[in-house]
Amino acid sequence: MRAGLRGVPVYAGLVAAEVFALFPFWWMITTSLKHQVEIFSGLELLPTAPTLDNFFALFETYNFGPFLFNSVTVVVFSVLLSLLLGTPAAYALTKLPTEGWLQKQALIVVLLVRMLPAILLVIPFYIVLANFQLLNTRIGLILLYTGLNTGFVIWLMQSFLAEIPRDIEEAALVDGDTRLTALWRIVLPLAAPGLAATSIFSVINIYNDFLIALTMTSTPEAQTIPVGVSTLIGKIQIQWGPMAAAGVVGALPIVVFALLVQRHFVRGLTLGAVK
Amino acid sequence: MVRGRRASFAAGPYVLLLPAAVALAAVSIYPLAYGVVASVRHYRYGLDVAYAGITNYVQVLQDDTFITALETTAKYVALCVVIETLLGLGLAMLVNRQLRGASLWRIGIILPMTVAPVVVGVMWRLIYASDIGIADPVMGLFGIHDVHVLGSDTTAFLGVVLLDVWEWTPLMFLILLAGLQTLPQEPLEAAVIDGASAIRVFFDHVLPMLRPVLFVAIVLRTIDAIGTFDQIYVLTRGGPGVSTQLFSIYAYNTAFLFTQYGQAMAMVVILLAIVLVLAAIAIRLVRLGPGTR
Amino acid sequence: MTDSIFSRRYSRRSMLRAGLFGAAGLAAVPAVLEACASSSTSNSGGGKIVIGTFQDNAMVPFRDVFVKRFTSETGIQVQYNETNYDAWYQNSKNDGLHKTGAYDIYVMDDNWVPEFAAGKVIQSLDKLGFHVNSDILPNGLNQGYWPPKTGAKMKDFASATPELYAIVIIDDVEILYYNKDYFPNAPKTWDDIASAAAAKAKAGGPYGWSARGVKGNPIVQTYLPLLNSYGGNFVNDDWSPGFASAAGVGALERLFSFIPYMPTGVAEFDTDQEVQVFLQGNCLALTEYTGLSHQVDDATASKVVGKINMAATPSQEKSGPAIGTFICGVASGAPNPQGAKQFLEWFTSSKVQTDFANTNGSAAVTKSALSDPNITSKYRWLPAIADAVNNSVAKPHTPDEPKMEDILGTRLNEALVQALQQKSGYHSIAQSKLTQAANEITAYLKQQGGYI
Repeated sequence: MRAGLRGVPVYAGLVAAEVFALFPFWWMITTSLKHQVEIFSGLELLPTAPTLDNFFALFETYNFGPFLFNSVTVVVFSVLLSLLLGTPAAYALTKLPTEGWLQKQALIVVLLVRMLPAILLVIPFYIVLANFQLLNTRIGLILLYTGLNTGFVIWLMQSFLAEIPRDIEEAALVDGDTRLTALWRIVLPLAAPGLAATSIFSVINIYNDFLIALTMTSTPEAQTIPVGVSTLIGKIQIQWGPMAAAGVVGALPIVVFALLVQRHFVRGLTLGAVK
Repeated sequence: MVRGRRASFAAGPYVLLLPAAVALAAVSIYPLAYGVVASVRHYRYGLDVAYAGITNYVQVLQDDTFITALETTAKYVALCVVIETLLGLGLAMLVNRQLRGASLWRIGIILPMTVAPVVVGVMWRLIYASDIGIADPVMGLFGIHDVHVLGSDTTAFLGVVLLDVWEWTPLMFLILLAGLQTLPQEPLEAAVIDGASAIRVFFDHVLPMLRPVLFVAIVLRTIDAIGTFDQIYVLTRGGPGVSTQLFSIYAYNTAFLFTQYGQAMAMVVILLAIVLVLAAIAIRLVRLGPGTR
Repeated sequence: MTDSIFSRRYSRRSMLRAGLFGAAGLAAVPAVLEACASSSTSNSGGGKIVIGTFQDNAMVPFRDVFVKRFTSETGIQVQYNETNYDAWYQNSKNDGLHKTGAYDIYVMDDNWVPEFAAGKVIQSLDKLGFHVNSDILPNGLNQGYWPPKTGAKMKDFASATPELYAIVIIDDVEILYYNKDYFPNAPKTWDDIASAAAAKAKAGGPYGWSARGVKGNPIVQTYLPLLNSYGGNFVNDDWSPGFASAAGVGALERLFSFIPYMPTGVAEFDTDQEVQVFLQGNCLALTEYTGLSHQVDDATASKVVGKINMAATPSQEKSGPAIGTFICGVASGAPNPQGAKQFLEWFTSSKVQTDFANTNGSAAVTKSALSDPNITSKYRWLPAIADAVNNSVAKPHTPDEPKMEDILGTRLNEALVQALQQKSGYHSIAQSKLTQAANEITAYLKQQGGYI
């Protein structure tokens, strides 16, 4: 018997949860398909005169093409670089003789870093980027996000890597591998689910960042999607239709991505993060 | 030969750790040091003009709005974390069986947590807005009229709590589900064979074994909830009045709107101190708690 | 045996990984080059200026017509960037404080001027040799001086000579918009509005009045025409708050007296929602800034085309609209300050301003443009704007104004929420909340030093 319930209440509960979770998406999508006039003229669950104008407006007037490109570029490079920096470090943590103590310290450090609110970080980062002429550039954002995400990578990968039995590695060493080639050839393939889970969470965290991107960028040359979404919330004007469309476009890449890899979410958590 | 290799690798792990350590220090120690220094400086018109000693701290602690913001944040975090844990646990229990299409149920439930908080703010603004949103008509169905979610203190506060619950229950759900799925089955089966009811099994066996996972989930969520910013920035800006003005919003306004950078950093330092103290207490409690395995 | 399994996995996965990292490395190269390139072009100076602003309907002619015209007349390239209001405030301030030089010209809201001038975010136009067009209406022009020419002055700057730090480009000011169908004659006083509302407004619409109720700046804009008209001041010349007086309380009570005639959601309205009610033909009148005049005759946005007239904001003792203005400063770190100066002199010249007024009836800043008979026959709100500017009351000139507005705006919003719920006891609600705000502002000013 597994810890769980059974029967109709189960399905009822699950359906309720699904409706609750998905309804706001539905509302935003239908709003994005309506003209401003229709949005104000009363409550409709389905648009009577659906239009794609709001989406066209996003890409023609509101610069969402560049925003999308910037977000994707920044996310891809930041995740790759932070994996590159963090995975060997996580591996090293698992191999140290005093690993118990140091691992606990590493965990504490990573949690502490996570606690630092974005407002603490933005001005110092702004000044550093300004000094290196990296303001309003994708490279500047990539550097910051890589740094910030490395701790997260170390924390997650450390628990995945610790799961891998030492015998397999030792066998490889006896057979002539160095530590590094053993890491590359044997350990990493086994930790692939962990890498996947770490990548997923990293992608989500970096793509969704707002305040840092807002402060470090000022034009569509480098602004990301979350910043782009916020530009539609004007002080004087709120264009509800384009705003809803912006929300849809903002959520879409991540939702699609999450749907494709959702298998790894749970597997990743099961395999190691829950420690 | 093995010995020689081991000895020459003694430096290895540290070499691998070094780049990451440098990166981590750069993004944490430098801003923290900068913030601490800024908190003892006096800023006027946005410029650093003088040493301020503890003046910023004194002014901040005497600022009623700041204290209110802390209280609001505490209420918000407590409410959100409790509700999300309970709902997440409930959902995890529901899904924790070999359901046909279990992965399909999961997909829908986890979507909210993947969306950017800014977009979540937009989504719920479209729902709560009194003239174009669907919240008012829905409340009308239940006989509640003339109540606008964003128009009064209590409803706005509850509104942002609801938003947070919607957004982050999936995270608790995933973590607790993973925890449930790794529970050893024998003690549970033994208990059932001994005649224990489902409720007894849950409270006497499942919960205690879940404790470490629960702890991790609650700590994670609490830390993140304290820093909630994007959604409120988009949805209410801290209004109406100050009912949704969390610490992060007030600190942001102080730093960027009123350009009192020194005071804003003092606020951040105070908050970090509070969080550290709470964390220490929490760790103490868990160590001393009964039934630790 | 074990080896062969692993080596099989190795070849596929490691090739994939090697490929990914290689691609990352290769792709990073153009990104690095791009970073170097962008930093060098921004320093090219010479024939280019960069203008940054927040999005607003009023800036559309500026963006679409006049920027291009400047380039064709002078050959100087103009790069125009806009983003949303709060992001722009943050970006421009950071850019100026740290002198990062991403912009030459900041388009600002008028209440940023004291802060930006005192913090050296913008540089003195007088020192740049800026030539001021004497045709510009004085109240608009004066918004750009630091220290201010009139009103309460900070102690640190009490004896300093006012210098021009920013030049007004759009005379954004509050005017009254009213629907002709409901007003046989132009309403002049708050009593006129009240009696029309009592006679013609109904519960579900049409509403008698619409307003912005969001805490902070929005609700303060709703309150100021009332406060000024009752003879109250935001602050008196000695920095003591002037709105907790009988005049201020009376003004707020007047707003509350409109509650039966306002949409119930007004406490969360910002401009867009406030204005929608009016454009849908569902409201008798409201006070708003000049931007609304471009929408009232726009058939895609308005159901009341041709029915709206404009006048001075209602008076009690007098008419006292708040003056806003879009105002331009030259960044302290500007790469091309002379080019920026040339642009601003060009845009504020009488000829260009007249053409600007002729484009959509934009709120030009010169007397000649706002009284040109050809133009005013096309755009009936221009005389009302000139009138309003000449009667306008400026907000306090201090870098701490945003905080003061935030304090007052928070308490005003709380008062409105309470009044909406209780629907009675307006006097005591108004008195207590305004007094609370006054005390908080006084305490804040004391803490900041240099005022009292």
